[in-house]
Amino acid sequence: MSIISELFGKSPFGALVEHTKKVHECVEMIKPLMEALSHENYILLRELHNKVSKLEYEADKIKHEVRGLLSRRVFMPVDKIDLENFLRCQDKIADYTEDFSVILTIRNTKIHPSLIDKFFKLVDQVFQVTGTLLTAAVELQNLAEVSFSGAESRRVLKWLDGLGEEEWKADRIARDLSRDIYKLENEVDTMTIIFYEKMILTLGQVANEAENAGDMLRNMLIR
Amino acid sequence: MESIVIGVTALLGLYMAWNIGANDVANSMADAVGSRALSVKNAVILAGICEFAGAVLVGAPVTDTVRKGIVSPDSFLSIPGITPEQAAALFVIGMTSALLSAAIWLNISSFMGLPVSTTHSIVGAVAGFGIAAAGWHSVQWGKMTQIVLSWFVSPVAGGIMAFWVFRFISRAILGQDRPTKAAIKYAPYLVAAVTASVVLATIYKGLKHVIGHITWLTPQMSIYITILLSTVAWFISRWWLGIRLKGKEKLPVAQQLDLVEQVFVPLVIITSCSVAFAHGANDVANSVGPLAAVVRVLQTGHVAQKVGIPFWVLVLGGSGIVLGLATFGYRVMQTVGTKITEITPSRGVAADLAATTTVLICTRLKLPISTTHTLVGAILGIGLARGLAGINRDVAKRIFGAWFVTVPAAAILCVLLFLVGKIYFWDVLTRVCTK
Repeated sequence: MSIISELFGKSPFGALVEHTKKVHECVEMIKPLMEALSHENYILLRELHNKVSKLEYEADKIKHEVRGLLSRRVFMPVDKIDLENFLRCQDKIADYTEDFSVILTIRNTKIHPSLIDKFFKLVDQVFQVTGTLLTAAVELQNLAEVSFSGAESRRVLKWLDGLGEEEWKADRIARDLSRDIYKLENEVDTMTIIFYEKMILTLGQVANEAENAGDMLRNMLIR
Repeated sequence: MESIVIGVTALLGLYMAWNIGANDVANSMADAVGSRALSVKNAVILAGICEFAGAVLVGAPVTDTVRKGIVSPDSFLSIPGITPEQAAALFVIGMTSALLSAAIWLNISSFMGLPVSTTHSIVGAVAGFGIAAAGWHSVQWGKMTQIVLSWFVSPVAGGIMAFWVFRFISRAILGQDRPTKAAIKYAPYLVAAVTASVVLATIYKGLKHVIGHITWLTPQMSIYITILLSTVAWFISRWWLGIRLKGKEKLPVAQQLDLVEQVFVPLVIITSCSVAFAHGANDVANSVGPLAAVVRVLQTGHVAQKVGIPFWVLVLGGSGIVLGLATFGYRVMQTVGTKITEITPSRGVAADLAATTTVLICTRLKLPISTTHTLVGAILGIGLARGLAGINRDVAKRIFGAWFVTVPAAAILCVLLFLVGKIYFWDVLTRVCTK
């Protein structure tokens, strides 16, 4: 009826910020999961796993909603491929978080007392990485308001600059932790060591995807 | 008899104006309604006032083009073996069928969902009757080329202008460390620019047919008046922005951006009103251009369109637009308001400013263009400046496609109606035209 109203689609940035927040809710569950594991409270662990599963499912729903708004015909202020990759990275953060909760629930693993501190240090560092990404990504709607340029854009880029270093720190902690784990190879059975490694690997992937998401966000801003 | 013919043509013109009011006016207020700066009700009221003012105050130049610029009235006199009375009768039949066919084509296309412009329909129809009645050479192809070129140029010009105006808003205000402070400094220039384009379009070589010839209102004088009023607008907006935004620069940026968008609210209302004004000025011709031609022919008994446009004709066109808006247009306005929620006042101002200026310049150049298409161009320009997310590019393609159909379709329809009209009304009208 009115050609002008057909011209306007819905902006995906509102839903995208929702997705960021939901993914972060998933990531926020890592520490409680780790705490439940260290207290060997396997019942609580299962409950928490269900919660992560549910959050991951909700994030998926928002992801589909965002995808629906990125139709080929619409015109975006940022590169659509960057936007899609950003969404995919965030999606993977939620996936790996769920994987982590699955690993903790498929076997009643015990954390060796000498490793607990370092495991928590790693968890905290991973959270540092995803937290930095969250701070930057929730600005997407404001960035759209200032057309991805100017002071606001510079501010977000500055936050993102710290992301690489935080991820590198997480990597270093993970490596350190691995060394400690293999030192215990005569004390702890092999199966448990495999599980420890799986946990570290998955946490590392969470941090890695957060860094990738940050790179995509940077691409959107500098192009 | 003469008054019956004028009455029928006036009704057709009124119907065409009603169509414009019902379908097009909502587009001109879209930015203000979409950004929630205006409620639908207030938008309808303001649009009515501005459309009427635009039609009556600045409607004459384009109306002139439609009544005598596309088809040369003189070429009717040089048809072999025709008396001046018969030429006049042909002209009346032709202009009336042009109105009728444009109206029919608009109804067909809106039924088929084609984004057709009233401007393109009437220009196609008038050209069609010229060719059928007095041959290929009766169409003033130089003017016609200008008009068709302006259909390409106006959306592109609107787009380029909107791109740069939005770039300015985005770089100088929104993208600053302290957006509120920057708004106090730079937003008054936007207000001055809006004022200048509306005032200049209204008084420069205008107002003649409204208040008569004002001797002191020379082109030079109107430029002085424009500069004066723009300066006043600059000072008023500066003062008002100072009250609203002073001391807010310490707030978080997100809040400052909100505040800046809020001060753009009155501005987007003003700019949307000026789009409505420009729309009235340019598009009233689509409805009353042929009517003006018929009235002058019947009054003088001669095809030559030497005398100016009767004032009441523009008033009728303006009233028809308001009527269409009041009876049907408010519903279109509602859909526009619910569907284009992504636009913010700052974007609206940029798009409106570009569209108003482009349309008013074309109006001054006597070029009938489509206001809606210009506004679509402006909005796409803001999309290119990374100002809008989720703009549907297909619409541009559909508009483009609809052009190619509209001009020939309206022309062919008009030729058919003209031939039928000639069979039935030729004798009657020749008698009417014989003074």
